[in-house]
Amino acid sequence: MELADRAVGFILSVISISVFTYYTFWVIILPFVETDHFIHKYFLPREFAMLIPVFAGVALLSLLCIFIGIVMLKSKKKKA
Amino acid sequence: MKHIIKISSLLVAIMAFWIGLLETSIVPRSNAWLLPIYLIVSLGCYGLLMVGVGLMRFPTCPQEAGLLQKDIVEAKEFLKQRGVDVGSD
Repeated sequence: MELADRAVGFILSVISISVFTYYTFWVIILPFVETDHFIHKYFLPREFAMLIPVFAGVALLSLLCIFIGIVMLKSKKKKA
Repeated sequence: MKHIIKISSLLVAIMAFWIGLLETSIVPRSNAWLLPIYLIVSLGCYGLLMVGVGLMRFPTCPQEAGLLQKDIVEAKEFLKQRGVDVGSD
């Protein structure tokens, strides 16, 4: 159990660090690199840097709202 | 109260920096629009990293747990002798 928790924590840390590095590189450093550099092959077009986080945020918010609604419905049923 | 002043001044500074970046157009406009989203993404990454680190070095003390279990057994025995109902294990 303890080992599994530790592994999950490690995986979360690795994911967050890699996402942060990739996004920083994408948004901050890439505008200063020439457009025909080979490194541009490894990144999506710039519009996706805005679209993906917005979509992820909206999806997260809606999932959170659905979860809260389900929990509230369940608790109400239990009371009645 | 002081904390909120600190946070709001930081927010105002970031907003001023962002508006300056938008107006002066040192970098192209489409890039300056990414700054708030970048800040939100980095905040999310920071939160995820803190959760991961907290999970990774969550303190557990197995010796203390064993001692506590022993104490519980001892207390139950003691209370049973005095006729107090402590329920079954």
